[in-house]
Amino acid sequence: MSARPEPQPGSERNATEPLPSHLDPTTYPRTLTTTHGPTSIPLHLELTYHTLSPTTALQHVSSPSSGANILFLGTTRDTFDDRPVARLSYTSYPALALKSLHKISSEAVEKFGLNGVYIAHRLGEVPVGEASIVVAVGAGHRGEAWRGAEWVLEVVKERVEVWKREEFVDGGMEWRENRERDGFGKLKTKKEDSR
Amino acid sequence: MSTFQIHYFASASTYTGRNTESLPAPLPLSSLFDTLEAKYPGIKEKVLSSCSISLGDEYVDLVSDGEKSGNEGLLIQGGDEVAIIPPVSSG
Repeated sequence: MSARPEPQPGSERNATEPLPSHLDPTTYPRTLTTTHGPTSIPLHLELTYHTLSPTTALQHVSSPSSGANILFLGTTRDTFDDRPVARLSYTSYPALALKSLHKISSEAVEKFGLNGVYIAHRLGEVPVGEASIVVAVGAGHRGEAWRGAEWVLEVVKERVEVWKREEFVDGGMEWRENRERDGFGKLKTKKEDSR
Repeated sequence: MSTFQIHYFASASTYTGRNTESLPAPLPLSSLFDTLEAKYPGIKEKVLSSCSISLGDEYVDLVSDGEKSGNEGLLIQGGDEVAIIPPVSSG
């Protein structure tokens, strides 16, 4: 799918204001490809308006020293709490988001002994059923690979500077907040944001 | 006059009706919320109370960075980039 400019949150009331570069799809994809540590573990981090590729993700983390490779795809749902979703879109602040992704992936390599980390997040409107995030990790054995991949995803959802906007079939609109839900979609007990 | 750029995301962009704007610099970091409250009444309680603030690519703390004892605290300078960061929802 080709990137196309689309209405951004808030822009409707300020059509004359130039779109800041971080909201301009033509300035994407924004990628950070680097390595971590003395053994040069590959890290690939990406924010893109294009369709995500699971194959590319797995290729980036493949390594002769890996016996386990985990791929996670987060896909967009057509309801939120049984309320039908018409369309949903994501925006990001890459100056902070890529920095957070780099920190998380480096930390995951050290914590779980991973041989590679790939994280890509899609921005703009994401049609229902398509991937909005892909995480792939490789490790020597399945234990560290499963745990590493899960940890990466949980921390990404908690910290990375990306926001999801849901427009409902009934006409409502909401900005989602990950701090409100756990990994099972259940409401967390209300507590102060500790970030 | 010198200005800094401030970006609004998610609930902050909905509340202000904009994605970004220029504000006069220099501005003490500790005055940022009051400046925004004057422009967008109610924003402090409804939006900013749950937001983080970044200056350049670093988070700043309105209390510890904004009111360092013995001086006037951090100043937002002309050309700086500030962002209002609401609770995130990636994935």
